[in-house]
Amino acid sequence: MILLHRLASVVRWISRRDKAEAELRSELEAFVDMAAADHVRDGATPDEARRLAALQLGGFEQVKERVRAGRHGGGLDAAARDLRYGLRQLRRSPGFSTIAIATLALGIGGITAMFSAFDAVLIRPMPYAEADRLVMIWDDMTKLDITTKVTPSPAEWLEWRRLNTVFTDLAITQSVEATVSGDGDPEQVPARSASWTFWSVLGVRPTAGRVFTEDEDNKGVKVVVISHGLWQRRFGGRPEAIGRTMSINDERYEVIGIMPPKFYFLPARDVDLWVPASMPAWMRTSFGWHSATVVARLKPSISLSQARDSMRALSLQITAKDLGGGHPVLVIPLREEIAGRTRTALTVLLWASATLLVIACVNLTNLLLSRGAARKREVAVRTALGAGRGRLVRQFLTESLTLAALGALAGVALALPAIRFLERLVPEAMGDAAPLRIDWRVLMFSTGVAAVAAVGFGLVPALRGSRFTPQDAMRAGGRGSTGARSHWFQHSLIVVETALAVVLLTCGGLLLQTYHYLRHNDVGMRSERLLTFETPVFRYAKDFDQRIAFINAEVEKVGAIPGVVGAASINLIPFTNSANATFYLLEGQSRSQTAGQVALIRNVSRDYFTTVGAQLREGRPFTSDDRKSSTPVAIVNAQFAKRAYPGKSPLGQRFKFGSLGATGYWYTIVGVVNQIPESGILDETKPVVYRVYEQSEQISDLAAGIVVRTAVDPESIVPAVRQAIWSLDKNQPLAHIRTLDSMIDRQLSTSSQSASLLGAFAALALVLASLGIYGVLSYAVTQRTNEIGVRMALGATAGEILRSFTRQGLGLTMFGLVIGLAAGGAASRVLTTLLYGYQPDYFSTAAAVSIILIVVAAFACLVPARRASRTDPMIALRRE
Amino acid sequence: MGRDDKLDIPQVTLDLMILTILTHEPMHGYGISQRLAALSRDHFQINPGSLFPSLYRLEGDGRLKAEWCDTENGRRAKYYRLTASGRRQLEQHRERWNRACFAVTSVLEGA
Repeated sequence: MILLHRLASVVRWISRRDKAEAELRSELEAFVDMAAADHVRDGATPDEARRLAALQLGGFEQVKERVRAGRHGGGLDAAARDLRYGLRQLRRSPGFSTIAIATLALGIGGITAMFSAFDAVLIRPMPYAEADRLVMIWDDMTKLDITTKVTPSPAEWLEWRRLNTVFTDLAITQSVEATVSGDGDPEQVPARSASWTFWSVLGVRPTAGRVFTEDEDNKGVKVVVISHGLWQRRFGGRPEAIGRTMSINDERYEVIGIMPPKFYFLPARDVDLWVPASMPAWMRTSFGWHSATVVARLKPSISLSQARDSMRALSLQITAKDLGGGHPVLVIPLREEIAGRTRTALTVLLWASATLLVIACVNLTNLLLSRGAARKREVAVRTALGAGRGRLVRQFLTESLTLAALGALAGVALALPAIRFLERLVPEAMGDAAPLRIDWRVLMFSTGVAAVAAVGFGLVPALRGSRFTPQDAMRAGGRGSTGARSHWFQHSLIVVETALAVVLLTCGGLLLQTYHYLRHNDVGMRSERLLTFETPVFRYAKDFDQRIAFINAEVEKVGAIPGVVGAASINLIPFTNSANATFYLLEGQSRSQTAGQVALIRNVSRDYFTTVGAQLREGRPFTSDDRKSSTPVAIVNAQFAKRAYPGKSPLGQRFKFGSLGATGYWYTIVGVVNQIPESGILDETKPVVYRVYEQSEQISDLAAGIVVRTAVDPESIVPAVRQAIWSLDKNQPLAHIRTLDSMIDRQLSTSSQSASLLGAFAALALVLASLGIYGVLSYAVTQRTNEIGVRMALGATAGEILRSFTRQGLGLTMFGLVIGLAAGGAASRVLTTLLYGYQPDYFSTAAAVSIILIVVAAFACLVPARRASRTDPMIALRRE
Repeated sequence: MGRDDKLDIPQVTLDLMILTILTHEPMHGYGISQRLAALSRDHFQINPGSLFPSLYRLEGDGRLKAEWCDTENGRRAKYYRLTASGRRQLEQHRERWNRACFAVTSVLEGA
């Protein structure tokens, strides 16, 4: 109760201060009036009476001050006064304040922004129940030519479900082509088929309706669970959507559930439909049909390593009778899977920003120490004038805290735009479901660290100054000698700062080198002005000839658009897909020899290679003679040639793939093409077989991608492209319209982002370190003006003075450089996953870093050293 | 009695006296100070530099309520009046004071 009164009183005091002051004034005036009136009554003259009354009150201002001080909230007043003093002090030396605040802002802003990204991707809970118990399972195909991590087959999933002992359950999803039509424009949407266990494994529920049941899955009932986005888009967010039917691939599906807006699952945030897997009988037994993504929930008592061991054994047992023997599996935590390489990138960048914060604090410490030493005289004078130790400490404390607070404010101002930039680091699978926000805990923490540094070293002059007698300090004159100990301390700070900057510079250099390599790596095509898009051809599923005719018509129509140099088709657009791979059998081999022989299959239109600008290494391109009825031919990539026919030309050789049995076609190799990274620009190259559409009747799919080489800006012809396709079939959807260059950028975004961010951190670290060197040397020059004067009076030349100071600065730099290079070499090991198998040249990076650092440090040294060398001995000595 | 002999008054005691004075009627600052002087028979002196901070604090704590009224001479002045909470505090203080006085007197007489 009394607390409430006090609070209200404080609030009144603060909010209506002027009024309260006026009231106090009139109250005291009333006192004087009444006292004077009494004195007049006792016989005093009016003037005399007023004088006596004023005496009785004891001084207007004194009483007011005592009332103010006695009030609740009076302490706030004192704090406000201290704050004003603090700000005034900072304003008095704008150079120091600007540098100190900017330094703090970089340190605090950097780590705050980075942690926000780190938190969003790696810490914040994912939209699944107990997400840390979820793992993904992949076939470990190390022995295959293709890749180590292969999507398992639904048949394997069935066996795992039946026999495993470590999971509560497992679910599979597979990619499906889905065109939604009716109720608006036809739309190609990302969709997945999922086993009925999908929802229970993830522990998610729809916001409305229900998910499909085991029975519906088994019987192939046409039901669909839709995303929140699609619900909004196609149903206007109306609850009646549940129970409605929608047309997917020209079949009617009943909408039974709507997922929450934040729900996402691999491979992408934008999946709009989930339909029951309803696997056909053949799929249930095809161990070679590697098409499924498997997610599983660990039993509560099972650890990850137990699950790994158990699943490895199980998989080897299940696949033992496979062509080429059994293979183990990879069990990877879901979080790791979703974050992918971003995890390393974010971790490295978080460390980098922490390093930057340390450098910022070290720099601030140095600044404060230098400034403190310069203020020693001020402290001495004030002590002599009677300022108590407590008063001095409070003032310096306020100053330091003001500095830290301003630094934090500026840091937030810096972090906000930085966060927008960092949003591009969020993995595609999470997308907008993981929004970045300023993390206040980290802001508090980093500000706290800065405040500790500021307070800790800001107080040194106040404590040191008031420890000595004022006479001693003032007798030391303008030199304010600081003693060897603090020199030693400041110098080691410089070394630390430089070493940390070198570590960041080295790592940044390695990443930049890697990015440069990746960006300019040969993709086997001319990527500029190449537009790509997909036109799913499920409408022609039944009739192969009709399907091929439609694709060829598309190519012809698009090729006729003005501004188009050429158009062609490939079933799966390059860089997008690692699926569609199969075993192959070389002529003369037995079935058992095909183990490990896997290649990607791509179907193309005849002038595909010319259109994308791929180079044939040997042989001929596809021609119009390669028809359905003629001899099946294939063009293979260099990797395939090397693997299958080492040391000899593959031209004219024959092989089978997919259908390895008696009815399988024999394909004759007519050409070898240079590598195109079909499955992704960062993936290792894999063996690839290309066929013409006409001869792809065995093992074909319902995908058709179109590539368009343009003479004009590719974006500008998009409307014309749509019209061209719709002139053939007005219900034909187009999906993923984008340029090849933009796909390359997107795939390299983690690399480019981490390289540029680390580069930026490193550059800032370099600037801070050189500021530190500059600060310490300028301070030394100021301190040693006398000494310089004496030396010059005794005959030292300006050049000698210049050299002596530069040597001192560069000596510290070199020391820091050596330590930094050693530490950088060790630190660069954690970067391995960000180097994508590329091995950047450490020594050239180290050399470049050394040169940059020495040049920058030389400048930082030269400015104060020149000032020293221009000292006029007469003036310097007269300063005494 | 010389000025030097005047007693120093502890804060709590001053509060107690102010509250006591105000039990009978609301008064303004000057009135309270006159009444204090009269009651204390010049044994001690409360100067306004101590009185006003106490009044403001007691008001802030809700023990007193202040309002501007006319004096008998037609001048406006700020009158302080005891609140219920002030009255309660007075009771407590008075009881504590009595106990303390008793204790101190006992010690002094016993010595």
